[in-house]
Amino acid sequence: MTGASRWADDEADKAEAARRKKEKEEKKRAKLAKQQAEQEAARRSRQEAEGRPAKRRRLSKSLEEESAKPIEAKLLRFETPGWGPCRHSNNFETLNHIEEGSYGWVSRAKEISTGEIVALKKVKMDYVNDGFPITALREISVLQKARHQNIVDLKEIIMGDGLDDVILVMEFLEHDLKTLQEDMSEPFLASEIKTLLRQLASAVEFLHDNYIMHRDLKTSNILLNNRGLLKLADFGMARLIPPPNAPLTQLVVTLWYRAPELLLGTTTYDMSIDMWSVGCIFGELLAKEPILQGKNEVDELSKIFELCGLPNDNSWPEFYRLPNAKSLKLPRDPKNAGSVIRTKFPFLTNSGSELLSSLLSLNPEGRPAAKEMLAHPYFRENPKPKPMEMFPTFPSKAGQEKRRRRSPNAPKRGEAPGMGMGDIDFSSIFAGREEEQKGAGFTLRMV
Amino acid sequence: MQSSPLANPLATVAQLESSSSQLNGIPLDLEDSIRFAGARLTQAAGVLLRLPQEVIAHAIVIFTRFWAGSEGGSLLEYGAEQVSSGSLFLASKLSAFPKSARSIINVYAFLNTFPSTFIESDQLQTKKNAEEYYVSEGTFQSRRTTLFKTEQQILKTLGFQLQVSLPHTLCITYLQALDVFTHPRASELAKRAIGHLNAALLSPQLLYLTHHPPYLATAAIYLAAKEVMMKLPDVEWWEVFDTDREELGFLVVGLLSVETFAAAEKARWGDKKVPMTVDAVEAELIARRTLNGGEG
Repeated sequence: MTGASRWADDEADKAEAARRKKEKEEKKRAKLAKQQAEQEAARRSRQEAEGRPAKRRRLSKSLEEESAKPIEAKLLRFETPGWGPCRHSNNFETLNHIEEGSYGWVSRAKEISTGEIVALKKVKMDYVNDGFPITALREISVLQKARHQNIVDLKEIIMGDGLDDVILVMEFLEHDLKTLQEDMSEPFLASEIKTLLRQLASAVEFLHDNYIMHRDLKTSNILLNNRGLLKLADFGMARLIPPPNAPLTQLVVTLWYRAPELLLGTTTYDMSIDMWSVGCIFGELLAKEPILQGKNEVDELSKIFELCGLPNDNSWPEFYRLPNAKSLKLPRDPKNAGSVIRTKFPFLTNSGSELLSSLLSLNPEGRPAAKEMLAHPYFRENPKPKPMEMFPTFPSKAGQEKRRRRSPNAPKRGEAPGMGMGDIDFSSIFAGREEEQKGAGFTLRMV
Repeated sequence: MQSSPLANPLATVAQLESSSSQLNGIPLDLEDSIRFAGARLTQAAGVLLRLPQEVIAHAIVIFTRFWAGSEGGSLLEYGAEQVSSGSLFLASKLSAFPKSARSIINVYAFLNTFPSTFIESDQLQTKKNAEEYYVSEGTFQSRRTTLFKTEQQILKTLGFQLQVSLPHTLCITYLQALDVFTHPRASELAKRAIGHLNAALLSPQLLYLTHHPPYLATAAIYLAAKEVMMKLPDVEWWEVFDTDREELGFLVVGLLSVETFAAAEKARWGDKKVPMTVDAVEAELIARRTLNGGEG
């Protein structure tokens, strides 16, 4: 893919490295063979156990009588996962770093035995009083529960030499929406926004159906692959809806995506804070930049009021009872008290701006649930959501691909087709299409 | 796989056949005793920490999983008390009612002052001289380090598989489905069934590691109904809850045997302590060896 690195080793180093790698691989192979033999043995003994006739004590007479009737009942059987110790991190080879977040380091890596490309997220262990970081623990437990096509797949957790090296192995996706948008020259098309938004809403719907709040929805936590598939990631803030008597922290959600009731200090929020964030993301996809970039909590709130208008007794009766609302002096007779969402996004259709306004409703009760959002006419009107297969592809920063702007090189002497190399095979011209598109960032624009 | 409230990760046949402790030469009966005492200790600590039973049950299942299989933890490497506190710490952390390391350490120190493993549950609430269970700052620091290390060791050994679906709520749902709550003695039946589910947490047969929640709930209802002599539908109703007769029979026997096992354990250890630390286990092994040597 790339030329020799400038840190390339000399021949001796290479030979030594190759030798060491071979040794390691041999060991690994032996271990794998042993594991397989063990599994096989376990399977066989299980079969034996199943084949054995039952020798158990009968419970009662009635049971025996009933067993005489040979009716085969259809019982639900369950898939049974097991557990085993974490594998060692040397089963993976790091390829490149992707980013460092508050929560840990993310890098792209390859599983050595299968060659599969994955994302590794190393947990930062800066605990003082609480042991293993609760954010990591919650993320793991939520991801184990949340298996959905629009939620990033947690494959396993591996450990390094010490107990402090804990690494999450997740599927690798080429892009995150934030970086991607920053690199794009134009915003997504209306049809593309619908595809993205619909996938996002179905991920959020799934979470909410399972009593999980994400609590940190933002474009940098939304991943996209080169086949137009969107996946939600970074569940460090996520948690199950707690029982009614347990308090919640307001210190959730990145500022620009934080709902007004959180800024005003509520302790009894619910799923609707996620829907506010979805609204912010919707606006960001339209505008190609975050729409509410407050410098601090106060600035954020004033930006929100600027965009969505001021709350009043009718639109948000509970507003005045929120802890931080008392310190807030709202103008008595404001000139621009209404929402300017419609004027700010002039290219949005009526139903589109209706959906956006409802997501960005100051009153949490005015926001649609994810299920309601998916049923919104916006997704049914023209332009229709673009099929995922038609989604444009882009060069991936995380995958270290570069945008190819150069035109192809002129052919060199002696490379003329059919000269001494036999016939040219064109059969791959469509087969390799996906590869060809990768890195081109080009597709037909169809609205 | 989508995790389900109806399914749990279960131990494999290999994990049930042998354990690290047995490979290290710990007799099976001693392992059973320590695991039983450890589960009871977790329950007692959870009660004192005022944790809901679902959190305590979660902790006991984590505790039980830790020792299973040749790749599990060995009693010659980790004390049962240490793993019990680590499990409770983890389970509470994942719940809506996290407990601080300080609270956990204090409660285990308090429980450690009882001279015998088998105390009556009302003794738990006895007021004691605070000096008896006072944890000095230095001791606290070192115990906290151990607690955090144990927590990570549990996570590593289980491969972070902490998901536990409990049968308790299912049990209530099933009772509702069986339409028993119109009966005057329904609450007696429900209490009895939930009691069996909690007792099953202590079973030496590791029922929570071998059976999915629906089977446990069904068996608990079946047994409880026999005990309080309430009539359930005269058909194979357990099949509605996906339990076949074979499993039901096995589990009912398993649930019934917990009581006998507990009584035998109590008689056997009397007012002695079950060894709950690595040192105590080693001492117990030496004592047994000299005893056997003396006899032979």
